[in-house]
Amino acid sequence: MLERIPSIRKAPDEEYYVPGHRTCAGCGPALAYRLTAKAAGPNTIFIGPTGCMYVANTSYGCGPWRVPWIHAQITNGGAVASGIEAAFKVLARKKKYQGEIPHVIVFAGDGGAVDIGLQALSGMLYRGHDVLFICYDNESYANTGIQTSPTTPYGAWTTFTPAGPAVPEGKKLFPKDNPKVVAHGHPELKYLATASIGWPVDLMNKVRKGLNAEGPAYLHIQAPCPKGWQFPPNKTIEMAKLAVQTGMFQLYEYENGEYKLSVKMEERKPVAEYLKLQKRFAHLQPEHIEKLQAFVDARCAEVGITVPAVASAR
Amino acid sequence: MGKVRRISGCVAAANAVKLADVDVICSYPIRPYTGIMSELARMVADGELDAEFIHGEGEHAQLSVVYGASAAGARTFTGSSGVGVTYAFEVYSPISGERLPVQMAIGDRTLDPPGDFGSEHTDAECCRDQGWIQGWASTQQEVLDMHLIYYRVGEDPRVMLPQFVCQDGYYITHILGEVDIPDPSQVKEFLPPYKNHHVLDPKNPMIIGAQIEPAMGPPLQYQRYQAMQAVGQVLREAHEEFARIFGRRYDPFLEEYLTEDAEVVIFGQGAHMVTAKAVAARLRNLGEKVGVVRLRTFRPFPTEEIRRRMSRFKAIGVLDNSVNFGISCNGGVLLSELRAALYDFGDKVKTVGFVAGLGGEVVTHDEFYRMFRKIQEIAKTGKVEQTAYWLPFEL
Ligand SMILES: Cc1ncc(C[n+]2csc(CCOP(=O)(O)OP(=O)(O)O)c2C)c(N)n1
Ligand code: SF4
Ligand SMILES: [Mg+2]
Repeated sequence: MLERIPSIRKAPDEEYYVPGHRTCAGCGPALAYRLTAKAAGPNTIFIGPTGCMYVANTSYGCGPWRVPWIHAQITNGGAVASGIEAAFKVLARKKKYQGEIPHVIVFAGDGGAVDIGLQALSGMLYRGHDVLFICYDNESYANTGIQTSPTTPYGAWTTFTPAGPAVPEGKKLFPKDNPKVVAHGHPELKYLATASIGWPVDLMNKVRKGLNAEGPAYLHIQAPCPKGWQFPPNKTIEMAKLAVQTGMFQLYEYENGEYKLSVKMEERKPVAEYLKLQKRFAHLQPEHIEKLQAFVDARCAEVGITVPAVASAR
Repeated sequence: MGKVRRISGCVAAANAVKLADVDVICSYPIRPYTGIMSELARMVADGELDAEFIHGEGEHAQLSVVYGASAAGARTFTGSSGVGVTYAFEVYSPISGERLPVQMAIGDRTLDPPGDFGSEHTDAECCRDQGWIQGWASTQQEVLDMHLIYYRVGEDPRVMLPQFVCQDGYYITHILGEVDIPDPSQVKEFLPPYKNHHVLDPKNPMIIGAQIEPAMGPPLQYQRYQAMQAVGQVLREAHEEFARIFGRRYDPFLEEYLTEDAEVVIFGQGAHMVTAKAVAARLRNLGEKVGVVRLRTFRPFPTEEIRRRMSRFKAIGVLDNSVNFGISCNGGVLLSELRAALYDFGDKVKTVGFVAGLGGEVVTHDEFYRMFRKIQEIAKTGKVEQTAYWLPFEL
């Protein structure tokens, strides 16, 4: 069992995701990786589907992990993890493997988890493999140069959803809610939560809970991407916090059919305060922002965030 | 000693998998290979085989599961047919590229359209250049034997490559044949346990499949090429050992039938060659110098063996049981590759192609007679009027 981490000071000193990669300055997913690896510890195997956390981490034949890591296609993280988990199970049973059974973690982008990789994720959860599947959500196909994915917010610019006279809001669709897709259709699922790099202790504890669960677990981590969202690299944590404070991203654990909120909020900030700091939303008109605010309000209500959005005093 | 049973090609393959003490199996249903998986599921349910039997959510998942399992040190098995084989296409190169000796059974089936259950070699042949060892069996016994031999060859440290063991749909997968099922102790002697030195193990962390800089590309591909080059010798050794332990001897590359003084032969692979042999035997009774050469190893293509052993014939007819639209000479891949192998012999050896049995249609005795007549005519006149014929339309 991995123990609960009471505070950031009590978090383990050891790092298993170490320097030596070339992610952008201020990369949110890289920080999520570091926290995940720290929480998981040395007896861990990572599966890395194609995406920034493959390409920017493993350039030139090496990688920043001190634990085993294997590449998966962007399509098949869940299936590769299923095979690894099954192998250790049977090899231990047949006495062909003597060591402790390792933790198996998939670290997939939103493309690799919510879009092209969803089938493999769902198959893995359905079959009940003891794997923690993490989606680091940077809200775009980042590695291919920022294209829209199903988690890209309504109204965001990407290279595939540019704003123009005929399509003034850029992206027209509302995002797919993968934690909900996962939560309601997989009877073997043992743990589900969302997390944010703005709440690192909470994130690490959710990783540990997911790993302690005997069976499949899903963790959806929002991880801001300065390049794709177009904000300065020293603002990553601020962006992560604002996402939660505005309700654009909701932090919870889903247990026994109920949403358990992870942070107490007295009130929410309006989404406009989040949007104005990111150039990907620069083209939005007031009616688009209103539409987005209404969507966020509804989504918050669904998970039990009932506090109203109140504009900050200037 | 083993015991002789009358079983289908599917059941023969399942018996080989059980004898190989496979650890992880991943299934998905598609005819005609499905029978292999239902037999394995039965073996697991009855406690005859201790393996993780995973129901993949598709063929792409099947290949992905065994990729992961093999990298974690398990001996693995999967299989498919027709569009299932092509649906998994993305994962073939990662498996051979990471040098994971996964084994896959193919029960051949036509690709869509037409929606057709019949056998055609197109499915597996599509994957011919992905770094997988490939060969076709022609009897149920050969299916079982080939599975065991391929595990040994694929897992050899000089090779470390995945393998396709192919059998024609229905003609072999579903028809019963007499099979000598060997004793587990014999298999133990023949097939050492799977040992991969580059496994996922937290005690010895390793990064598998990192991105590379362009300069690292050529050596990596060259190593995979060299592994494929090494297969020939390892196959030879494995067949020697196989004959010693099990008492059955196969030529690793080419089965020659009535070829000793043959002037013309039909060349091809798989179950239709059994019919070809029957027709050749009848023609021999009429005093005609005809024979059959059956290809047993398609990948790596045994170029040297073909040059050494087949340049003596006056004319060779090549049967392709697959579609290769727009290919050179209008035949199939076997014609193309045989011609390439014999290029240096120029006009001395004439070749002609036949495309037959598509969609699982029987290649009849009568059609084989017509093919032999055409080859004989070419040998006699020295003239090849048409590089390939589609049967029954053009011949
Ligand atoms: C089958 C396939 N299609 C497309 C690609 C191209 N591709 C490489 S990385 C990538 C983006 C991945 O996006 P995501 O999973 O969100 O991870 P991110 O790059 O955002 O970290 C894509 C589409 C691929 N590698 N494989
Ligand atoms: S593009 Fe975004 S996710 Fe990718 S490395 Fe840069 S900051 Fe990180
Ligand atoms: Mg992404």
